[in-house]
Amino acid sequence: MNARSFGLGGARHLPTIVLVARREVRMRLRSRVFVGGTIVMTVLVVVGIVAASLLAGRTTPVRIGFSGGSQALERSFTATAAALGANVTVSDIADITAGEAQVTAGTLDVLVTGSATAPTAVAKAAIPSNVESALSLAAEAARLSDAGLSPAVVTSAMALVPVRLLQPPNPRNTESVFASLALGILLWIALGQYGNMVAQGVVEEKATRIMEILLATIRPSRLLAGKVLGIGLVGLLQLTIVGAAALFAVQVTSVAAIPALGVASILGDILWFLLGFLLYATAYSAVASLVSRQEEVQSAVAPISILQIAGYLLMYVTLANPTSPLVIVCSMLPPFAPILMAVRIAASDVPSWQVGLAVAFIVASIGGLTWLAGRMYSNAALHLGTRVRFMDAFRG
Amino acid sequence: MADPALEIDRIAKRYADVVAVDGLTFEVRAGELFGFVGRNGAGKTTTMRITLGVLAPDAGVVRWLGVPLTFEARRRIGYMPEERGLYPKMHVAEQLAYLGELHGMTGAEARNAALGWLDRFGLADRRDAELQALSLGNQQRVQLAAALVFGPDVLVLDEPFAGLDPVAVDVMAGVLRERADAGVPVIFSSHELELVERLCDRVGIVERGRMVACGTVDELRAGGQQRRWIDVPGAPGDWDAGVPGVRLVRTDGSRRLFELDGGVDDQVLLQAALATGPVRAFERVEPSLGDLFRTVIGEAGA
Repeated sequence: MNARSFGLGGARHLPTIVLVARREVRMRLRSRVFVGGTIVMTVLVVVGIVAASLLAGRTTPVRIGFSGGSQALERSFTATAAALGANVTVSDIADITAGEAQVTAGTLDVLVTGSATAPTAVAKAAIPSNVESALSLAAEAARLSDAGLSPAVVTSAMALVPVRLLQPPNPRNTESVFASLALGILLWIALGQYGNMVAQGVVEEKATRIMEILLATIRPSRLLAGKVLGIGLVGLLQLTIVGAAALFAVQVTSVAAIPALGVASILGDILWFLLGFLLYATAYSAVASLVSRQEEVQSAVAPISILQIAGYLLMYVTLANPTSPLVIVCSMLPPFAPILMAVRIAASDVPSWQVGLAVAFIVASIGGLTWLAGRMYSNAALHLGTRVRFMDAFRG
Repeated sequence: MADPALEIDRIAKRYADVVAVDGLTFEVRAGELFGFVGRNGAGKTTTMRITLGVLAPDAGVVRWLGVPLTFEARRRIGYMPEERGLYPKMHVAEQLAYLGELHGMTGAEARNAALGWLDRFGLADRRDAELQALSLGNQQRVQLAAALVFGPDVLVLDEPFAGLDPVAVDVMAGVLRERADAGVPVIFSSHELELVERLCDRVGIVERGRMVACGTVDELRAGGQQRRWIDVPGAPGDWDAGVPGVRLVRTDGSRRLFELDGGVDDQVLLQAALATGPVRAFERVEPSLGDLFRTVIGEAGA
């Protein structure tokens, strides 16, 4: 018997935090809740995006085919159409008869025939007015060039009248509001779900009485950190799966024009989830450490749940009136920032100082709560049976 | 005599107005099986929790090899708490391996050790079952395996035999003896005094947070009362009335069982018996640990 066997070094020994986190990940990935939850969330998101793309059907580009001499107009037509806000795709049509058949069949919206200076537009029942204007302007420019004017003179002569709006309309549209709402609800569900998972996990070890064995070999702060890390990774994995499905659906359905469904936006949302998760996980673990039985968890976490519900209601206020002072202030407060900021960013432009301030506040709160939760958890970890009072856990 | 491996030195703990442990002191040597007995609430569990560092004492210190126990040294103690607890939904072998790794084993070492102990306890075929699917007796075996899996340097077991069938008791007793013979100090608490007497090298009796008797069973006997059976068929009913320091325990026909206070010469009792007639039998009775326990507790509680 000697002290040698107390040595614990060696690179092959994983740090205890990693061991705890790995156990959490393994156990959670194995559970039906995770598999089922991921499938349900993925299906909901994909269905939502498909629905959004159907709602946003009118942004589908107008397909225009040019045949013969009119093909010389393609370039100037495309530029003019873009300036007029028309979404068009242009193609060459070799045979006029075949082109008309395509228009009749609905695989082509407009067929342009004739020469560059005297084109004719063929459509099935109607032609979008901005497409018609762009075509007329392109033909006019061709006629002016034909009359001997230099390209520069033609360009300046044909310049569109600049428009200055004193009260520009909000860039939001129905699709954007719809997408922002869906996004906010998803974030809200994920934060509630994973926060509660941490709370349940904290109580699990007290309820099953394994805590005493664990604390004889691992410090409480590391046990807690490993648990939060593991559950956070599971949450991140689930959201990444859902996010990847969403990105795929976005690419396939051409709703990328909706700002809330862009790549940057989805990555930003995952970041907001991480910040929100860390904030709520530490808060949940602090209060959950006060009780010893699963039945008591819900009442213990009630104050946090109420904050989350308040955030959910504020999300609707945000969508209805994104510039109200109440919304702007609340979106920078840590308990609401993860959802409200994500929704505001998706729905409209948010000044970067507001985003920065919200991030700074939430990071500071996470730091403070981590300290508080670690202290309460350590003091209350082995207190089994009756509920521990907050101040007792705080003082230790 | 070997140096003490584990010393519990004057530890004290009180909860609000209840004194749980009051200056309790004892030691366990390397290779020794130490039985910890006492009534419910005497302070056994509190002492074990303090030893494991899951509870902080108000006073006193626990030393290992002469120095106060550090957190790292405590990680080398195998512990079976009074409140049994493992993850109900985790697979048995996976759970043991996890605990082995938490105690500093590599993944491969931990897996091998887990399977080895499951084999030893006859649970090899249940290694991929969830713990909650096992019978309570088998869960108890897994609990002991959890204390043993990382090859601990000290074993502290709170009521390891509670709830086990006789076969499992034998297996567990064999394992504890084997670990002790390998040089590991083993402390366990139990209410099964016959088992403790049979198994332990030394016994500590704790009452109201204090160690009231500690030593080998023979040492405890030497300090306490002795008993004698005497068969004097022709004697009158009150022949023993005048013998000092002697108390009649019970009568069985002409046979009588006496208890002698410490230091009383049993020959005085024999002389008194012979004075009344022929003595057919005069027999020395070794008190069991149970007898000693009741006597010691009776004195301490008085």
